[in-house]
Amino acid sequence: MSLEQASAPGPRQTSFAVGESLPVLRRQVSQAMINDYAQASGDFNPIHVDPEFARSGPFGRTIAHGLMTLSFVAQMLNEWTRGAFDECGEVDVAFIGPVFADDTVEVSGMVEELLLRDGRSVARIKLICRVGERDILAGSAIQPLQETRKA
Amino acid sequence: MTQFRRYDDVKVGDIFPAAPLAFVVDDAVVNGFLAATKDENGLYNGTDGARRAPSMIASVYLIDLLMARRSPPGGIHAKQAIRFHRPILVGETLSIQARVVDKYVRKERPYVVSEFEARGSDGALVSSGRITSIWGRDQ
Repeated sequence: MSLEQASAPGPRQTSFAVGESLPVLRRQVSQAMINDYAQASGDFNPIHVDPEFARSGPFGRTIAHGLMTLSFVAQMLNEWTRGAFDECGEVDVAFIGPVFADDTVEVSGMVEELLLRDGRSVARIKLICRVGERDILAGSAIQPLQETRKA
Repeated sequence: MTQFRRYDDVKVGDIFPAAPLAFVVDDAVVNGFLAATKDENGLYNGTDGARRAPSMIASVYLIDLLMARRSPPGGIHAKQAIRFHRPILVGETLSIQARVVDKYVRKERPYVVSEFEARGSDGALVSSGRITSIWGRDQ
């Protein structure tokens, strides 16, 4: 199987519209999920997995890994682009708020601008990542447009 | 016992690790990551031979990379920029290395900024980016 064939089935978008909303992805986070992520990633920083250590830290309790939240963003972008994000997407984010156990993280985005980059049309997406009214992550994604092949 | 590095000892231009880190994208790593992040996208099922890995498996190899800095526990991942250059297949071995490009103290928090590259066994760029961390308290 080639890399191209590995893509998700179905047509990919060949155009984006400014103002277009991206799908919403929700993930309920638990301490068990944070622990599983620590196991999967090898990141056992006690701020994530050791309640006693975390009590004396800046948040007073354990927090989820920022990269786990970013993985939710990537899932949403892959859903929207049918896997094209994995191939040529880009994100640039700041982790501005903690995610605690029992939070429900909601991830989405909006196409903010279409521009040319390295001779290619790309969409710049404002990312939205919240727990309730609280912002968790601020930043943007860049997604090149799939080129249509001419016969 | 791990010898942690003090913030004052971190220098712009430091390369870590000294030799690129080899990261094997195997089924166990991919399955663990997909399960932990509740990612059930059929993209990664690999039903006809080769199997594609999620690009954000980067969040696993970046931890291996960051551990090579020997920062003390309690540090915080403040910012992340990452660009994916091509898809990854399960079975590939990636070669990863980073360089400290900036360090500064802001609001009494010690920051370290590093740029990294991950390359496939063919030498082609798989991902690249920038990590901004708040250094853990010196031990």
